[in-house]
Amino acid sequence: MVLNNLMEGLVAYDLTSENLDLVPALALSWESNENASEWTFKLRKDVKWSDGVAFTAQHAADGLFRLIDPKTAAKYAYFVYGIKNAKPFSTGELKDVSQVGINVIDDYTIKITLEKPMSFFPQLLTHVPTFPVRLDVIEKYGDTWTEAKNIVTLGPYKLKVWDHDKAIVLEQNKTYFGSPAKTPFILGYIINETTTARNMFDLGRLDAQMDLPANELGILRERKEFDEQPILGIFYFGFNTKKPPMDNLNVRKAISMAIDKNEIVKMLGGGQIPLNGWVPKGMMGYDENMGLKLNVEQANALLDQAGYKDRSKFPRITLSFNTNDNHKRLAENVQAQLKKNLGIQVDLKNEEWKVYLDSLRTDPPHIFRLGWLADIPDPDNFMNFLLSDSDNNHTNWGNQRFDKLVIEAASVTDQEKRLEMYEEAQRILVEKDIPVMPIYTMVENMMVHQRVKNFPTNAISQLKFKNLEITN
Amino acid sequence: MNRALITRIVGSLALGLIVLSVLMSFMGYEIPTALVWADLFSALGFFAYYTYSQRMGAYVLKRLVEAGVTLFVIATLTFALLRVIPGGPFDEEKALPPEVKASIEAKYNLDKPLYLQYGIYMVNLLKGDLGESYKYLGRPVSQMIVETLPASFQLGVFALLICYIIGIPSGLIAASRHNTWVDNVTMVGAISGVALPSFVVAAVLILLFSFHWQILPAALWDGPTYYLLPMIALGTRPAAVIARLTRASVLEVIHSDYIRTAKAKGLSQKNILFKHVLKNSLIPVLTFSGPLISGLLTGSFIIEFMFAIPGMGKHLIQSVTNRDYPLILGMTLLYSAILVLANLIVDLLYSYFDPRINLSK
Repeated sequence: MVLNNLMEGLVAYDLTSENLDLVPALALSWESNENASEWTFKLRKDVKWSDGVAFTAQHAADGLFRLIDPKTAAKYAYFVYGIKNAKPFSTGELKDVSQVGINVIDDYTIKITLEKPMSFFPQLLTHVPTFPVRLDVIEKYGDTWTEAKNIVTLGPYKLKVWDHDKAIVLEQNKTYFGSPAKTPFILGYIINETTTARNMFDLGRLDAQMDLPANELGILRERKEFDEQPILGIFYFGFNTKKPPMDNLNVRKAISMAIDKNEIVKMLGGGQIPLNGWVPKGMMGYDENMGLKLNVEQANALLDQAGYKDRSKFPRITLSFNTNDNHKRLAENVQAQLKKNLGIQVDLKNEEWKVYLDSLRTDPPHIFRLGWLADIPDPDNFMNFLLSDSDNNHTNWGNQRFDKLVIEAASVTDQEKRLEMYEEAQRILVEKDIPVMPIYTMVENMMVHQRVKNFPTNAISQLKFKNLEITN
Repeated sequence: MNRALITRIVGSLALGLIVLSVLMSFMGYEIPTALVWADLFSALGFFAYYTYSQRMGAYVLKRLVEAGVTLFVIATLTFALLRVIPGGPFDEEKALPPEVKASIEAKYNLDKPLYLQYGIYMVNLLKGDLGESYKYLGRPVSQMIVETLPASFQLGVFALLICYIIGIPSGLIAASRHNTWVDNVTMVGAISGVALPSFVVAAVLILLFSFHWQILPAALWDGPTYYLLPMIALGTRPAAVIARLTRASVLEVIHSDYIRTAKAKGLSQKNILFKHVLKNSLIPVLTFSGPLISGLLTGSFIIEFMFAIPGMGKHLIQSVTNRDYPLILGMTLLYSAILVLANLIVDLLYSYFDPRINLSK
């Protein structure tokens, strides 16, 4: 959040556009070769870092090299594995930097060569880990280069104060290359309790609060300061398709059709949008008519077909979630609905977050809850984590046709064609094979004081304060 | 010069300096580093002289060695337990590709055999290096402690003051007016105090003082007005416990033979109560104080969360959720060290308050 205001990427999202179109940031323009496997970025010449040093293509290249440097051991290194030889370089197999597909052509031109065509590559460069860095500053200060007194930035704001665990102050950057930020200072408090933040908001100590107390949403929703924004994230249940009786397609279908998602979101009260397809509302490929609809009668018929006409013969199954009040309420709701609509008994099991992740990896339960937030607003982001060999696919399910579609779609430049491929892939997920049961598109709830104008809400949750204004 | 007198002078000096520091801190002044050292040296000086004058050197040395062993065992057990519980520091919702995870684990030596990891950790620990947090990149654990301990420490000390200033006199008054309405009212108050969890007290205080009367801030940690609500919320419960302990203990002492003797000698009621009864009644309070002090000083995470106090409570809890091994180990060791030390101090004070307890043997 803070870095999105201090730094800039080569490209950025137009946060006012509905589809989050890409617009120039540090790059003035970019183009690819015909099959989108080579990308050339022409950079601005008028950008200066906050210490007066001119920004050049080398800084952009350094940012990417540092991300994949084995010494950095960055979590997001895999993000740019699409770049030629980035992966072997990051694992240390390849030592020769010159073989990595990142080339500085001149001070203001950088060319990136990919392993294979990728039509959405520029989108990755909107992501903070890919931003340009100043290696000289990092070398000089070591681990403390991110402290307020050391950091060198080039975004609309500078880091004035970073009082760890307490507060952050951003100050308008007067030498910013774009139109200057409209509010001179932004003060952010680090508050762990949503209720505490809400108290401070009510007492006039805060102008905005991002995370609201879940059990107060019903009341807060009635207030004029309340605002909500659907984001590119989904909440879903996965089925362990190897664990009987979930190995039976009809059972998975029956469960999916016996759950009223409207009832769930109403109970949660956060304005979530029921989801039957796989990609969230607001993303390319979203289709509200896709997926299985609530149909209790048919669900019962399917369960009969699956050989459980006598419901008492249906084995007890376990639905797992990580310990959290909201997840618990949701799980209890699903449990009650399955009992009422299908007459089957589901046991609930909650585990602490890391224990839960460990269970999913080693022995996934019959049904488990998870969420997925978009890194980039592209369907690929929601599809490729369910590839049969993905570490994020805990369903034990795989489908060759699905894998082929998703892998190939990433390289297709014709958007119409891509859309068709994703549609087919989605239908495999939510209409044919049902390894997952989507529940809703996530929504961010917030309180924003009336005097704040242009509070940055958008589907990708990038909090850019540049245009934020305080009126009286 | 009389040893008891020297002890008393040095003790008063240390106490005075500490009270001065606490007052300054409460008034929102930054405590000068020199004063912090003066506090430390005078307190240390007091205990050193007291130990020497009472010939308890061997005892204290033994306790210190024991403390070292305890901390070593705790460090080892924590290290082992962390490796046993499921889930590692780099397991995330979006699973990292194996090669990325491997390079991160290599960076933190997590790819080495366990005995080697343990060896590296212990050697660094002996050098005073607690390592670097896995979650907060580039932040050494020791630095995180230095940054967050002061707020927790302040909160704890202020809450302790509430405990003693309210708890001991209430207990004393209740006991001296045994079975009167004063006693009954105080004890009903104390029982209510014991029954109320700090977060309920905090919520009520915020509702009244921040929302209803609007005289005190509901959160943050920026000066005296900010300190009041959290310290009362945190101090109420132990204050009630101390009131009950003091009352019970005073009642017991009042009926002992030496008090009867004092009465027979014709000493005034006031003299008996403050000089003979109180000092000996404080033993149970002292016992309770060991764990209380370490508990309060290292922070009550609930109160810290509710008032957005930048203390270490957050790290104590979240480091476990994050499986941030170095931070968990650092926090655990710090907490244990404070607990061990507080208990040692309490034991030394036993013999000061009650000369019948002889630790030199």
